[in-house]
Parts: sequence; C-alpha cells; structure tokens
Amino acid sequence: MPYVIASPCIDVMDRSCIEECPVDCIYEGERKLYINPKECIDCGACEPVCPVEAISQDRRVSDEDQEFIEDNRRFFTEPLPGRDGPLGAPGGSHKTGAIGVDTTMVAGR
Amino acid sequence: MTVEVDILVVGAGPVGLFGAYYAGARGLSVAVVDSLSQVGGQVTAMYPEKQIYDIAGFPAVSGRELVSGLFVQAAQHSPTYLLGQEAQLLSHVPTADGPDRIRVTTSTGTEITCGAVVVTGGIGTFTPRPLPAGEGFLGRGLDYFVPSSEAYVGKDVVVVGGGDSAIDWCLMLEPIAASVTLVHRRDAFRAHAASVEQVRASSVEIVTNAQVTALEGGDAVEKAVVEVKGEELPRNLPCQQVVAALGFTANLGPLREWGLELHDNRHLVVDSAMRTNVAGVFAAGDISDYDGKVRLIAVGFGEVATAVNNAAVHLDPDAQLFPGHSTDTPHQVPVPA
Repeated sequence: MPYVIASPCIDVMDRSCIEECPVDCIYEGERKLYINPKECIDCGACEPVCPVEAISQDRRVSDEDQEFIEDNRRFFTEPLPGRDGPLGAPGGSHKTGAIGVDTTMVAGR
Repeated sequence: MTVEVDILVVGAGPVGLFGAYYAGARGLSVAVVDSLSQVGGQVTAMYPEKQIYDIAGFPAVSGRELVSGLFVQAAQHSPTYLLGQEAQLLSHVPTADGPDRIRVTTSTGTEITCGAVVVTGGIGTFTPRPLPAGEGFLGRGLDYFVPSSEAYVGKDVVVVGGGDSAIDWCLMLEPIAASVTLVHRRDAFRAHAASVEQVRASSVEIVTNAQVTALEGGDAVEKAVVEVKGEELPRNLPCQQVVAALGFTANLGPLREWGLELHDNRHLVVDSAMRTNVAGVFAAGDISDYDGKVRLIAVGFGEVATAVNNAAVHLDPDAQLFPGHSTDTPHQVPVPA
C-alpha cells in the first residue's frame, strides 16, 4: 500500500518530499531517500512534488524499478551496512536525522 | 472547564464525527475533542478539495462536502465540541456501583469525565511543521498560524510555503499589511489554482525557488534571509512578521501514555467489539488495528458504529447492543429529492 521511491532519486535527493510528508516517514540514505512502508499512510502528498518523478504507489512502480519496492522495505527491516540492527519504525526521520547509508542494492548502482 | 458526558470521542475526523452521530442516536451525551481548531481531521487538513469515490452511497464527494454532511448529521444530537485542544491525560475514577468513569484532561485544561472513550485519532495529533531557520523567533515575529490579523496591520510580512494555508494567509494579510512577500521553495504551488491566481493579481510579491535560511533580529524579527536558486547572494527581506505555513506532521503523542496496547508504535490493538486493552476505551478508524484491518474511511464508519454500541453496553450492561434501526424513529433531516 505505501509509496515507493525508485531509481530517479539516486544522486538527486531533492528532499522536497520530506517537507511534504505529514508523518515524516521519508528517511535519508547517502545517495537516495527511502519511504518507510510501516509508517507511510498512503496519502500521496510526496508524489507530485518530486522533481524527478521518482515516487509512485507500490502498485504503480514502473516495470524496470520493481525491485525498489522491496529495497525500500529492506532499508528498514534489515541492518544497513555498518549497523548492528534494523532501523524498524523509528517514528519520524526528524528524530533519526540523515541515516547516511544506502542499501547494498542502491550502493551498487 | 469541566464536561460530563456518556461518551468522549477523541478525534473529529470523519469517523469521529460519525461516532458522535451514532452516540447521539443512541441517546447518549457526547463530546468530541480534537487538537485541530476545525472538524474533519486529516480530510480537512490535507485534502478538502479531493474527490472521494469510495463512500457508500456517494459516487463522488469532495472531502469538504463529506465532512460538512457528517457535521450536520452529528449536529442533530448537539455534541459538545472541544476543538483546538489535545486529549492528554487519562485517569480512572472509581464509582460505587458499576464500571469506573474515565477522566481525560486536555492541553487547555478542560476536564472531561465520561463513561467511555472512543479513540478515532487517525494518525495522531497534527502539529505545524517548524521553520528550522527561525525557531528561536517563535512568538517573537514568527508564527505557524494566524489566529488574528491584528498583529499584522501595517507590518512587512513574509509568508513561507506553497500550500492552501500559505496562499490563504497572503490573501488575508495583503489588504492590511504594509507588504506581503510569499517565499516558496518551488515554482509550482499546491494550493487551489484560483486562490494562487488571486495572489498573483494582488500586490503580494512572490519569490519562488527560494528558501528562508535564517531569520535575524534582536528581540523580534527584523529580516529574513532568503536564498534564491540561481542567485549568487542571498536576499535580505526586511520584515516584522513571518508566517511559516509548511504543513503538518502527525504524531500519536500523549495517547502513548494511556496504557493502550500499541502495534508498530502507532496503532491501537482492538478486539472485534473495538475494545482496547483498557476497560472503557474503544478505538475505531485508521488508528485501530486487528488482523485483516483495511484503512479506509468506509471501514472506519462501520467500526465506529460497533465501538459506540459496545460502549453503550459498557456504560449500561443492561442496554441492548443492537441500537435499533435509524428508520424506527422519525428524523428532522431533509431527505434529498
């Protein structure tokens, strides 16, 4: 059900979406932003403000970016490189600040 | 202020308003508390103009129309609205016979004593998103709301944001302020197109692709430093008032302290009667959670009817769970042709 940020965000990270998100569920990696599927309320406020159209509902992600659906989830459910535990649902990116690390998949692009 | 009611509804969104109607229809007295100063919750705050297509009986209805209809429906039984205050503390008040009464205290000090609470809090309390560059000036020239326009008369005002609130405040302040400058970080505005046109046609100066990077001044704001994309030097805008309308963030807030069982740190776990783990506290709508939950307004309406009717039995164990049909008694509501 959540929104997903896909490949166009990599190395762009405009962050407009972070300003729009009413539940503060968009987290900052090193080169890309990630939406926490557990915290996203599916409101869609982020989608139109992305200057590179990187954001879409998980049911509407383009064929070539399908793997980003799972990769957004993985950012929160699996320990990121150099971290001991998964991020989980911290309850807002303003609390965590920039995470500064990407998933292995994004780091390899 | 103290309020005594049978049922307290926490959250005046669509589901809370329908709950208020339902409690009234059962002959119960009801109060509705909400941290926002208007009814309609998320729908009013975020998508009043959006068409909604999955409300039973309405092929299409705007958020605003839906909320207005729910408000009129609830008004038949005159609920007490406690708006602009956040439900904060919950305590139990033992009674000689029967279940404990519940006391909820709000952020403005209102004390509501009730027989049952129905939490329809959606995603929690909405709070304005701060302007990080200027937080130190909050209340000293920087505001997140314009409760009254008096303070802006004859002042140079900078409004920050690109949504409906920013645009509406520009239109409200333009006739009375010395000057109004609208600063938005993008080219496009999210606000209602007709209102944006009104602002463009007015004396409001619009600065887009720009960000307020600092507020400066002594006791009060004297200028805003604005960086504009493509310009080498930041602009200094002399101003005495700044309004930042950067939207809202929502948080469960004080509900976390009520001893309620939470799922994922944001939803309240309920059983099939919409009871939480705390006796007398029920939950419905987006905030409630159970196996198979679907977060839609349509679902919330059913849940809150279940919650209120079960709350009625909690208040009076001899009461029937089934409320009867709304067609059983004559209503004073105009029937659409």
